[in-house]
Amino acid sequence: MYGFEALTFNIHGGYLEAIVRGYRSGLLTAADYNNLCQCETLDDIKMHLSATEYGSYLQNEPSPLHTTTIVEKCTLKLVDEYKHMLTQATEPLSTFLEYITYGHMIDNVVLIVTGTLHERDVQELLEKCHPLGMFDSIATLAVAQNMRELYRLVLVDTPLAPYFSECITSEDLDDMNIEIMRNTLYKAYLEDFYRFCQKLGGATAEIMSDLLAFEADRRAVNITINSIGTELTRDDRRKLYSNFGLLYPYGHEELAVCEDMDQVRGAMEKYPPYQSIFSKLSYGESQILDKAFYEEEVKRLCLAFEQQFHYGVFFAYMRLGEQEIRNLMWISECVAQNQKSRVHDSVVFIF
Amino acid sequence: MQISEDGNQSSNEIAGADHNILNLLDSMDNYLILVDSLSSSLRQGWLELASARYSMGASRVNSSLFDLKSHQLPNQDLDNAGTDTELPRFTLCKWTSSDEAKLEEDELLKNKSDNPPVQHQESEERKAEESGSPVTANNHAEKERFKSLSMFGTLVSPKLRATQSTFETALETLVEMSNLRASLLRAYDQVQKDRKTDE
Repeated sequence: MYGFEALTFNIHGGYLEAIVRGYRSGLLTAADYNNLCQCETLDDIKMHLSATEYGSYLQNEPSPLHTTTIVEKCTLKLVDEYKHMLTQATEPLSTFLEYITYGHMIDNVVLIVTGTLHERDVQELLEKCHPLGMFDSIATLAVAQNMRELYRLVLVDTPLAPYFSECITSEDLDDMNIEIMRNTLYKAYLEDFYRFCQKLGGATAEIMSDLLAFEADRRAVNITINSIGTELTRDDRRKLYSNFGLLYPYGHEELAVCEDMDQVRGAMEKYPPYQSIFSKLSYGESQILDKAFYEEEVKRLCLAFEQQFHYGVFFAYMRLGEQEIRNLMWISECVAQNQKSRVHDSVVFIF
Repeated sequence: MQISEDGNQSSNEIAGADHNILNLLDSMDNYLILVDSLSSSLRQGWLELASARYSMGASRVNSSLFDLKSHQLPNQDLDNAGTDTELPRFTLCKWTSSDEAKLEEDELLKNKSDNPPVQHQESEERKAEESGSPVTANNHAEKERFKSLSMFGTLVSPKLRATQSTFETALETLVEMSNLRASLLRAYDQVQKDRKTDE
């Protein structure tokens, strides 16, 4: 019953909630970012990060550093923390934590399939897969010629199997089919995660509904903007939008027919939470839309920690960790390319 | 009379040498401007690529998806009829496959002796008419642009398209630089020749 989680939550979830709140306190602050933004070289970044939770992961890396090395090691830290939480979790928290990784699993599947289609080395592709999305038979993906084989040979034994029912065809895998597959899988995953959280009920359902609805709406906007000028038809575009969220269903109807950025703005400004995002953009501009969405997401994720006794804090921490890694990637690229004047274009402060 | 003729001849030679030196300095100045422009385009391109990676995620934009193989640039060596035939002039055949570029080069070589140089766009339109397709050169270029980004997915961020456009500009600058370098070297040779003549 909502409101009475305080009676029972700590029996199974208390330890891990304390752990994740401890992890949260280790996230980089504005002062840390200011120091990092003033670094001249990647070794300076490594030196500054040595005083943070990332210190032990970067200390043995030899110079000269590369931006991908920094991102890999920082990701490794997040993965270790996740694995620690997963091994300590009981049901239903363990299932909840596993849901968080399905998005990465989808990305890895699409990376392998796309790379194989374009004749890239499978071993190199496997090295670039996100560690949170790895599963045992992932290398076998390179053998599949169409989605039916993809499902039958590999994915039937993975948690993504239920999401494949909407996109199994015998058509050969080509670029458009792969893109539709990616977005269809992600749509099915988000809807399934949403239903799961609703079933959990209580504060988890309330907080996760808001966070997942925002994710669904952001994906709808990104799909719309990225499909402008492509061969994707309006009907196909509409099919890729999730069946929940603030924009469902009327916002989706408007977004499906948008042909340029101004029409997208017109559709989105009818919704007050997104009006503030689009008000930051000039007409026709889409360059800083990503940053505006990330800022809004970070705000909502931080608010999740204001309430106790729910699973939303785990989801929020993982997402905040990913945002931190994005920030570090951007700062590293600006420093490596000697473009420090642009460093604040994309850094999203968490605290 | 002979002295004035000799005087006129030497002043013409000096004017010619000055003209060659000016040519050399102009060519060098233009070349340096293009070098600076190329550097700026490449810096912008790499940062835009990082921005696209930030936007789309590292799993969609990473080095394992890059080709990392050298490709022969489809280009044409158009003969400038009526000018110095020793000076090469390169133009870029954008968004044609190397087979198509070779075909067009063969056609151009065949027509070179009789007809003036055929413009790239005209040959594209003629090919489109012959094939019966209503596709214009611009549509073809747009399709090829989308196709070349397909390794990153079909629905890519506008930032990645901006990156592509920037690197395309850099490629055009490179071709301009190769043409300018040819004229720069020619101007330099001319100046060297004038110096030897003076000596």
